[in-house]
Amino acid sequence: MIQLENITKSFKKTQVLKNINLTINQGEVVTLIGPSGAGKTTLLRLLNWLEVPDSGRITVGDAHIDASKYSKHDVRRLRGQSSMVFQHYNLFKNKTVLENVTESLVIVSKLNHKEAEEKAVALLKKVGMGDKLHDYPANLSGGQQQRVGIARALAVDPKVMLFDEPTSALDPEWVGEILHLIKQIAAQGMTMILVSHEMRFVRSVASRIIFLENGELVEDSNPKELFENGKSVRTQAFLQKLTYEEE
Amino acid sequence: MGKIFDPVFMIHSFPEVLQALPTTLFIAFMSAVIGLVIAFIVSFIRYANIRILSPLAKVYISFIRGTPDLVQIMLVYYGIPLFLKAINAKFGTAFDVNGVPSIAFAIVALAINAGAYMSETMRSSLLAVDAGQLEACYSVNMTRLQALRRVIVPQAIGIAIPPLSNSLISLIKETSLVFTISIIDIMAQAKIVGSRSFRFFEIYVVVSIIYWVICAIVAFALSKVEVYARRYERKVDK
Repeated sequence: MIQLENITKSFKKTQVLKNINLTINQGEVVTLIGPSGAGKTTLLRLLNWLEVPDSGRITVGDAHIDASKYSKHDVRRLRGQSSMVFQHYNLFKNKTVLENVTESLVIVSKLNHKEAEEKAVALLKKVGMGDKLHDYPANLSGGQQQRVGIARALAVDPKVMLFDEPTSALDPEWVGEILHLIKQIAAQGMTMILVSHEMRFVRSVASRIIFLENGELVEDSNPKELFENGKSVRTQAFLQKLTYEEE
Repeated sequence: MGKIFDPVFMIHSFPEVLQALPTTLFIAFMSAVIGLVIAFIVSFIRYANIRILSPLAKVYISFIRGTPDLVQIMLVYYGIPLFLKAINAKFGTAFDVNGVPSIAFAIVALAINAGAYMSETMRSSLLAVDAGQLEACYSVNMTRLQALRRVIVPQAIGIAIPPLSNSLISLIKETSLVFTISIIDIMAQAKIVGSRSFRFFEIYVVVSIIYWVICAIVAFALSKVEVYARRYERKVDK
């Protein structure tokens, strides 16, 4: 389903991803954890080609792309496989809630307005935003904006959904409901990759956890294994630090 | 011995000065429209950093910003005829330089001038749109062009309107320079009326009021456009 082969990426002189190899199967809910600067977000963004790797190959669904040689067509094909939920929501500011979701349906998927609206309204009702269709993002709370962000990402019928710290910009009171929503989507069998610091949530939703540090995959395991007896010293140190913060 | 200041004469001069108003408005309007088109194209060349064209655009902007408006008008007024002559000589064509009305030179010069200033405004407005907006477009698989058209440019317009209003108002006022290439705009008309009566001060008060009213109307209209263009933004209670 998803395959990363020999991915490297540097920003200026800092190497943020060092020869990453990773395979993810359909239906897996993979969470990337690790200290800040580990390369989690960069890894996630590569899959949507928001970051371009220096070298390596990426396969998502039936799109393949090679960083050493690719066309615009390859990029669009790759992007067509996945969709992203952003930390800061990134809703189209000049569009209403409804338009945020219909936009890609009309412009990219080429549905007519009526079909697009029906689909968008159904999705927005599903995420609990059915009563705010004509509001602009600026007039919504963070939690409401992120619900729309999720609806927008669902609208393109992605094979994989990517979540980049979807709750870290939210007030604590909204975190629970967004996590609940993500869990619902996961329960329907959607393949997902998340970057998250909500360890309790990660533990309950993830089928697989990958611990990254300094641009390397340090540990790749299931939640029970990793949390209860993480093999690597570095993973344990990281988890311990988080547990202290929680207590 | 006449009055020191003659308000009656002043009021009576309005209609005569206003005879030239259509000329002023025509020059301002045409050069604004052409200037906006130039600015739009140049801002995209710079925004997308198109090879060869982008450095040329930079030189163009630098030159316009670094030379007086009056000099630019003169360059166009004396330069275009030479240019046409050269073309005639080279290609055996027969463009009639004398057939080109002065007003065309004025419009070209002012449009080139305003285009340079406005292109910088537009470019910085495009850059001021949050990068996350473009990423969101890409994440739902829009192309760069679709993203620009549907999301980035509409937001940039909202940002650009206040500084663009300044440029457009400056442009209206700069039309007062065209009397130097023998166009009868309201400024030239004022000179004519003034030299006949020797009441220059009164006449220039008349002219200043006319410019002020035009500029105030344009500023008001553009502020309404701005409210519309930024309707999606959050309002802060004062």
